[in-house]
Amino acid sequence: MNIATFIIKNTWRNKRRAALTSLSVAVSLFLLTTLLTALRELTVPPEDVGASLRIAVRNKISLANTLPAKQRGNIQKIPGVALVSPLTFFGGRFKEDDGIGFAQFGLDADLLIGIFGEANLPPEQFDAFKKDRRACLVGRDSATRHGMKIGDRITVKGGIYPCDLDLILAGIYYGTIDDRNLYFHHTFLDEAMGNWGQVGTWWVKVKSAEQVPEVIRAINATFANTSAEVLAETERSFQLGFISMLGNVTAFIGVLSSVVVFTLALVTTSTMSLTIRERFRELAILKALGFKNGEIAAFILAESFMLSAAGALLGVGGGWLLYSKMSVSQATAGIFPFFEVTPQIAGAGCFVAVILSLISAVPPIISACQLTVVDGLKTLD
Amino acid sequence: MLPPLKYHLQTVRVRWRSTLATLASIALVVMVYLLVQSLAAGLDAIATQTGDMRNLMVLRRGSIAESSSLLTIDQIRTAKHLQGIAKDKSGAPLASVDTLVVVNHQRRDGKSMANVLFRGISQAGIELRQQVQLVEGRWFAPGRREAVASTKLRDRMAGMEIGNEIKIGADKLKIVGLMDGQGSAFDSELWLDSEEAKGLFNRDFYSSVLLRLEDGADQKSLISRLDTDKRLQVRGILETDYYREQTKTAGPIRFLGNFLAAVMSVGAVVASTNSMYAFMGKRTREIGTLRVLGFRRRTILAGLLFEGVCIGFCGGLIGCVLALPVHGLSTGTMAFESFTEVVFHFQITLTLVARAMAFAVFAGLTGSLLPALRATRMPVVDALKSA
Repeated sequence: MNIATFIIKNTWRNKRRAALTSLSVAVSLFLLTTLLTALRELTVPPEDVGASLRIAVRNKISLANTLPAKQRGNIQKIPGVALVSPLTFFGGRFKEDDGIGFAQFGLDADLLIGIFGEANLPPEQFDAFKKDRRACLVGRDSATRHGMKIGDRITVKGGIYPCDLDLILAGIYYGTIDDRNLYFHHTFLDEAMGNWGQVGTWWVKVKSAEQVPEVIRAINATFANTSAEVLAETERSFQLGFISMLGNVTAFIGVLSSVVVFTLALVTTSTMSLTIRERFRELAILKALGFKNGEIAAFILAESFMLSAAGALLGVGGGWLLYSKMSVSQATAGIFPFFEVTPQIAGAGCFVAVILSLISAVPPIISACQLTVVDGLKTLD
Repeated sequence: MLPPLKYHLQTVRVRWRSTLATLASIALVVMVYLLVQSLAAGLDAIATQTGDMRNLMVLRRGSIAESSSLLTIDQIRTAKHLQGIAKDKSGAPLASVDTLVVVNHQRRDGKSMANVLFRGISQAGIELRQQVQLVEGRWFAPGRREAVASTKLRDRMAGMEIGNEIKIGADKLKIVGLMDGQGSAFDSELWLDSEEAKGLFNRDFYSSVLLRLEDGADQKSLISRLDTDKRLQVRGILETDYYREQTKTAGPIRFLGNFLAAVMSVGAVVASTNSMYAFMGKRTREIGTLRVLGFRRRTILAGLLFEGVCIGFCGGLIGCVLALPVHGLSTGTMAFESFTEVVFHFQITLTLVARAMAFAVFAGLTGSLLPALRATRMPVVDALKSA
């Protein structure tokens, strides 16, 4: 019997305890993985290709305030600006009793592909969308969920704007970071609102990434001290603004994660100590046979590492498998459209497992090293 | 005949080392459950503590929240002069025409921004909302660019002390007073004059009207008159009902709390099963002795389960004590309906504590079930022979 078999045999000697210990590590690591993923989904907005060239312009007072449509010309004139489109969040309801909704945006149909170029859409569908002012595009996720087909009539009841939209589905796009939204012609909203001359936000595409800071400065300066001051920012910081609004929730999830890790450490350490204390007599025999303290410490460490590793495999791996297979979006009513266990998160989970195996080995190692052969042989239980 | 209760209680006490992990894991499950659920309870408290039964709110038909409702002066005039609306001393309808504006404002930390609800009200608006009290300074005077902030808003947002000026475009709004909404949604608001709000923020429309109903007025028929009027395109709702419907934000938090508690309690049960097995293993001979003394298997099992319940109960108590300090702490998050930050308190209610304790006792019981069954099933002779 070599050292490795000795360690493995020892680990599995009490099968039930080994299984239960690994299981409790697994449950905690699963929870940690879930919390870290949730935190990441809340704080790190997914990034689209081309986001670095896009600028969002909103009313400085807040996103809930509109901007005058006549600003468009002024923005277009700024050097470095390639394209400008209004983008207005309609905030309507598709079906009265449906909890899982999707956002509807009015924009300039001609510029959709020019500015938001990530979407995959058959050219003939895009042409059909451009031609009909009542046409709309829907992301594949929403289309699947609600069983929409091209040519369907889609009625969206106004929640913010005092009008309803009666639209016709012209195309289904896919391949963006959020394949759920509905896009329709801004001009259609203008008509429904009696040509009110307002837009929600402006979205600007800049010619090159180097010009972005200059264009942002120029847009902000252009409308300073007018009746509708604006705040232009990169797409990324626009999205981060939403996260900042969540307030203390993110910090709270961080606290919960720490509590989970702490519980985990406590439970595993106590089990490891228990396992080793039961074996004091054996350890004394090993010592009598001439094994050094260092070697005994290595045995204990290896054993605790194996239990943690099994737990990590089950907890982190299980979490990854579960979240890649199930539809988290549906289970959480659309709060988390994505729930991706990234390699970094999986790595963090495994790292915690390793640290844990070290921590939980420390108290048993200390008591095993302090043990004299005579005392150890005298131990009864 | 049962083994004396004292025997079991002593065992729990003497072997405290091996029960420590069980105790701690149950305590932490209870703590996490209470922490998260008290957030949801705090949000619910706002929903149930805001509004006056005698007030009727009028919104645009189809609007989800007050902040996204638009009303014209004609709609308001018609609604104000309906039968059943109370009158003030001068005989005018007791009504507040409100203009709500969501304003992106800097937080106190100076780093992040939050959306704050600025509520423009008529003078009657103060009288209609009795739960809001002025605690410092004075109420705003219309036409002088003045505003009153809630004390809780002042604690969270930058520059909301009395005497400070908030810059809005080229104009300035001066804070002249502080108010307290006594745990209502108004604790997250800043109030100013309605007409002034319309001017400052270039609004063409008002947002809502709050009306006082006459004593004994038929609320139902009044609401249905508003709701069915084809020309008017508004809807009426009791103020209290309106706030009770604003519960979207608490939902996900409650879900998170239940999810965490469920998964963590699986971990706690596994951990407690584990230590109980070890614990029972050491007591095999002791249990054998009890059997020889004539105690029946069933009664010994009941006793051992009782020990588990005791541990669960103690763990639960510790968890409650650990969670208690957050009770009453103020925090904030974005409300999904109004798109603004709502300030609320952690609320550990008795119901929550009862639920958490039931949870803890159940976890203690489940954790000791399998080990206790195994220990009592062993034949007496084998048990006595074991080391």
